[in-house]
Amino acid sequence: MTYFIAQILPYITVTVFILGVLYRLWRWTASRIVHNITLSPFPQTKTEVLGIYLREILLFRNVFNFDRPLWVGAWPMHIALLNVIGGHVVGFYFLGKQFVYLGASEALSKNLSNLLGTVFGIILLAGLLYLLYRRVALDKVRQVSNPSDYLMLLLLISIVSVGNFMRLVPEYGMHYEPVKEYFTTLILFQPAAIPEGNPFFIIHLLLAQVLIMILPFSKLMHLFGMFGMRWIENRVYKEPAPGLPNVDVAAARARGAGLPSASSSDVA
Amino acid sequence: MPEYKGWKMPAKATAEEMRQIHIEPVPDDQKVEKAIQYLDEMRKKFRSFVLAMESCVKCGLCAENCHTYLGTGDPNNIPTNRAELIRKIYRRYFTLEGRWFGKLVGAEDLNLDIIEQWYSYFYQCNECRRCGHVCPFGIDTCEVTMIGRQILHWLGIVPKLHASVGAAMERTGNHTGLTKPAIVDTLEFLSEEIKDEFGVDVEFPVDKEGADIMYVPSSADFLLNPYTLMGAGMFFTYIGANWTIPSTITEAGNFGLLFDQQHTMRHNFTRLLHAAQKLGVKKIVWGECGHGWRAWKMYFPGMADLPIRWPITHIHDEVAYYIRTNQLKLDPYKIGRPVTLHDPCNYVRACGLAETMRTVIRACVADFREMYPNKENNFCCGGGSAILFDDPEMYQLRIKFSSKKAEQVRATGVGRDGNGILCAPCSICKAQLYPMVEEHELGVEVKGLIDLVGMALVWK
Repeated sequence: MTYFIAQILPYITVTVFILGVLYRLWRWTASRIVHNITLSPFPQTKTEVLGIYLREILLFRNVFNFDRPLWVGAWPMHIALLNVIGGHVVGFYFLGKQFVYLGASEALSKNLSNLLGTVFGIILLAGLLYLLYRRVALDKVRQVSNPSDYLMLLLLISIVSVGNFMRLVPEYGMHYEPVKEYFTTLILFQPAAIPEGNPFFIIHLLLAQVLIMILPFSKLMHLFGMFGMRWIENRVYKEPAPGLPNVDVAAARARGAGLPSASSSDVA
Repeated sequence: MPEYKGWKMPAKATAEEMRQIHIEPVPDDQKVEKAIQYLDEMRKKFRSFVLAMESCVKCGLCAENCHTYLGTGDPNNIPTNRAELIRKIYRRYFTLEGRWFGKLVGAEDLNLDIIEQWYSYFYQCNECRRCGHVCPFGIDTCEVTMIGRQILHWLGIVPKLHASVGAAMERTGNHTGLTKPAIVDTLEFLSEEIKDEFGVDVEFPVDKEGADIMYVPSSADFLLNPYTLMGAGMFFTYIGANWTIPSTITEAGNFGLLFDQQHTMRHNFTRLLHAAQKLGVKKIVWGECGHGWRAWKMYFPGMADLPIRWPITHIHDEVAYYIRTNQLKLDPYKIGRPVTLHDPCNYVRACGLAETMRTVIRACVADFREMYPNKENNFCCGGGSAILFDDPEMYQLRIKFSSKKAEQVRATGVGRDGNGILCAPCSICKAQLYPMVEEHELGVEVKGLIDLVGMALVWK
């Protein structure tokens, strides 16, 4: 079983993920933008359009403005998720010494890497639990939820919980070096056995792969969907020039257009 | 049929009425099969629709940003749930996860009851796009409503109101069935009204060949909003324009946008091109109509079958231009009443008119009070997409849909002394708000924006 999860499944996971995402993106691009459905605010330059993209992606401005309680959970959760994913890649690749490139000593870099991992892991878990709470407790969110919406959150919560557990309980912790070695063998298509036989690591690895495989067939595609939607709606629209043909207001007023005396003098 | 299994719904057009708009109703035993076929066609065509189907995360943000949910508390009026009525079918037939996991991911087989439910809820949506505006991803649930209504139309299910308007448009060139003699008569009457009330001579040239400007008013202005038409006539006379109103298309609206964005919408577009060519005009100016302006500004360029040779602008843009260039003399103290502005959804969210309207209203009114939220964040009047049904159940719903608006108007305080003006420069907003300001006892009179321009003009 461990052999399957560690040495075979990863290849299936990556294949399903890549083909799945390509399939979904192909479905989207096969359909067209039929009408001009530009939506407010009406930006006048491409820079402004970029500004809309950035403020929504980086700050979740709409959520902040229109549902603050949601933002309190959603924004930190996503930022933490981004850092956790980034931390996995960078931390394992540089063995925790990534901050050396920013001028830190090796020891400091490792400590910083650990600290950030722990902090973001906890924020991520807290954010996910808060979102689950909303889904269960708030009428308006419960009423729009399908079973899969809960399952998705539970899956994420499981992955993050196991990850945090490994980080916080040293006897089940994982060191950077063996993990890096394992992933290196995976990438070289000569998968080695999982190091140390840590059951929590195996569970973490399995659940993460399940998530990655589900992603292309789930609402997690919102990651790409939001770009697709904003591409349709937030674009530059140039107004036709105002001003009416053959109209000279000053002359019309001097002539007294519309005034009864003017009409009678016209007749005369 | 005001109710079906507890779902409120407007009276449906009869088979005969459907035939007048060129649809042969699909028999019940084929409806499900046909609906799936049409849905398949739509999803292959409209990316906006596919993305709305596939990227919602159900965060629930749209719920309390939708006035229909706020007014009714009906969970199916939460925008994402309204879309879910189609989404669950879409998942079942067009996605792998829906085919494999069914109910677990919220996928469901289509049946006749669900089609009835579509009819009920897609005609409770105002297509105001506030949900799209507030959505973190910009998912435009209005697109889903529009596609739902399109499929219903092809199945032969359209409200009586919309079907009869579609038929009248084809017969007469306007929604209210006005013939040319009636148009000319009404305009002569309005000339006399202007003479009596404002003491100026305004002529309304109809079908004047060689005119420079073609003005297309909303046909409701002939019957319900005369001051809007009078205001436009006074504006054109004041600036000395060579203008005309075409009798073949006296309609700023386009109900095609609301129930049939294919044949009906295109038919109206073609009508305008023919009228402009026949009269040899140089520019087309659009009257006060929210959904209509969206159709003509945003959809027309992509759907006209001929090259468009005439620039089309909205009358508010033109008035604002003459105000900005100091060519109009307006006395804001002539209207000695407090005024607030209701931003029509289509103007602010779909057409970017928010600042233009403010340029005009600030020049015309001394005591102007904003309502909040306003501009593109504004709430719909509750009549959007012409769900102006008179069936008692539907009328009660309209009152609920407008309750958020009533709350906003009250907060401005313009109606405190009973002499306020609620400026709502859109024919559908006006038709909805005329009765609603009474129902909610707001102490305001509903007016258009060009009405105020006409009143504030200084002629000498």
